[in-house]
Amino acid sequence: MALIAFQILLRRLLLAAPIVLCVSALVFVVLRLLPADAVAMSLPPGATAADYDRLKAELGLDRSIFAQYMIWLGRFAAGDLGASIHFRRPVAELVGTALPNTLELVAVGLVLGVAAGVAGGLAMFAWRGRAAEQVADLAATTLMSIPEFLWALLLILGLGVALPLLPFVGRLAPEFALPPPITGFLLLDSLLAGRAATLGSALLHLVLPSLALAIALAPLIMRVLRSSLLEVILDDYVTQARLRGIPERTILLRHALRNAALPTVSLIGVQAGFMFGGTVLVEVIFGYPGLGNLMVDAVRNHDLPVIQAVAMVYCLLVLGINAVVDVLYLLINPKLRAA
Amino acid sequence: MIARMVASPRVVLGAALVLVLAFVALFAPAIAPHDPAEQDLMFTLLPPAWDAGGEAMYPFGTDSLGRCLLSRLIHGTRVALYVAVVAAFGAMLLGTALALIGGYCGGRIDWLIGRAVDVWMAFPPVVLALILLVGLGTGVNMVIIAIIVIDWTRFCRVIRSEVLVVMKRDYIPAARLSGFSHVQVVLREVLPAVTPLVVTLLSLEMGIAVIVEATMSFVGLSVEADVAAWGVMIADARQFMNQSPWGVVLPMLAIFLAVFAFNLLGDGLRRTLDPRLMVARGPAS
Repeated sequence: MALIAFQILLRRLLLAAPIVLCVSALVFVVLRLLPADAVAMSLPPGATAADYDRLKAELGLDRSIFAQYMIWLGRFAAGDLGASIHFRRPVAELVGTALPNTLELVAVGLVLGVAAGVAGGLAMFAWRGRAAEQVADLAATTLMSIPEFLWALLLILGLGVALPLLPFVGRLAPEFALPPPITGFLLLDSLLAGRAATLGSALLHLVLPSLALAIALAPLIMRVLRSSLLEVILDDYVTQARLRGIPERTILLRHALRNAALPTVSLIGVQAGFMFGGTVLVEVIFGYPGLGNLMVDAVRNHDLPVIQAVAMVYCLLVLGINAVVDVLYLLINPKLRAA
Repeated sequence: MIARMVASPRVVLGAALVLVLAFVALFAPAIAPHDPAEQDLMFTLLPPAWDAGGEAMYPFGTDSLGRCLLSRLIHGTRVALYVAVVAAFGAMLLGTALALIGGYCGGRIDWLIGRAVDVWMAFPPVVLALILLVGLGTGVNMVIIAIIVIDWTRFCRVIRSEVLVVMKRDYIPAARLSGFSHVQVVLREVLPAVTPLVVTLLSLEMGIAVIVEATMSFVGLSVEADVAAWGVMIADARQFMNQSPWGVVLPMLAIFLAVFAFNLLGDGLRRTLDPRLMVARGPAS
């Protein structure tokens, strides 16, 4: 079972390779449309024309766009992401610090969103045919009309400013020092270092941003789960289970949910990819030091090496999540499992 | 079909809200009590008229430069609806055309379009929008181009699979046998069959376009900083959120109202026009 899952994961990742290549070429070409002069921006003040030409040759910018792309691709594959023009630090280092923060945010957001969505879907299903279902349905449409970044602002207004219960700036309260970076993940590192207070502060700082992501995800899951439940509950095996006298609750949770979960799982896969997009603005609003904040800073400063690297990281994250969800889909699908 | 649409409260309410917004956008200069750029430094960060300390002159209060929030909201409707209509139609035209071509021709063309969709789907839309705006430069028309270039896939994916279903129906070969050219078959037989779906997606896409424009003007990549757009208003008012939350809350309400109207309309249309879609695919988010 585990072997099959691994094989499928591997095959999916291989299939994704040409997509990654296309994406990288696309990003490369789009960014070269920019009228700004990357060479001039990298030079210190007082540089001469000779310095300009030397740096241009050094960066490979005097060659054709195809040659430039091949150079970049070779370096990227070797793990050399170049240096940031704006921050004057290696891009790999910037991405290395930001990525774990974003992953923690998405992980917590996904868990909260899926939990709330599944609970909501089950509740809507239980209320089927009653007025409560209509109310929940309208509430879902309403919630879906509010994008993540507005949730972020609403949560700040409500729980940060009006009732100052939770922190809403940054990743950690300023009085705490960062734990020794063992994994790069703040939650894990503070746990490993045995600093309970740091862990607590880091968790509190995650609450509002991850809630903003979760509230945007939950209504989508809720509605899809509800309609799949409505479909499978008419299937023969449900009737048979009822005839055998199995309680309705057990039928729902043990049998129906398992089969109805499939469309929900593929939706979660797509939405998890999109959630990385949602983090961009949420991170900016909460001043959360993740990939999204790095990306927007880079965009504002025309920092091409950073934009390019972060874009590729997002692409790899989305494709990676899609592959994992495909495997999950297979593992829980009773019909495909036998094959 | 029309009767069923009118009977749906979602369609009626959604359409009514959209009409109100369109009216406000069209007649913004006549409705707005002030010029949206006019500053009144005697009255900065005023609360709305109903709140303690409000002025009747400024019904929704003022921002940090003493500009009338109501007038700015009204003028912001123009930006939002302009982007919603133009970008959504553009994405619809491109996505539907490619879906029809791919679904009808099949073979290599269909394969190529399918792979293009795969490449596009490998990005969170916001990230793709940011990259495009770096390449294209900023501005509201660039945001529109970015939305079209990004969101055609939303139409293409869904409509292509619908085209494949339609292609299996008997009346397609029948039309060919009766002497229709390929173009005629696509335009007279296939397109009408998928039109309900296209209309539904169009309405939902308008809501998405409003969000994207607000997002991009919030980060300063859309309209000029002095133009009254909802995202710009939120970005301006964010620094003064502690003194006056209204500057943030009111444009948020406006964005919500516009998106809600389009979602409600799209959702209602989906339920009345194609009940199967709702069950099989869930919301086309």
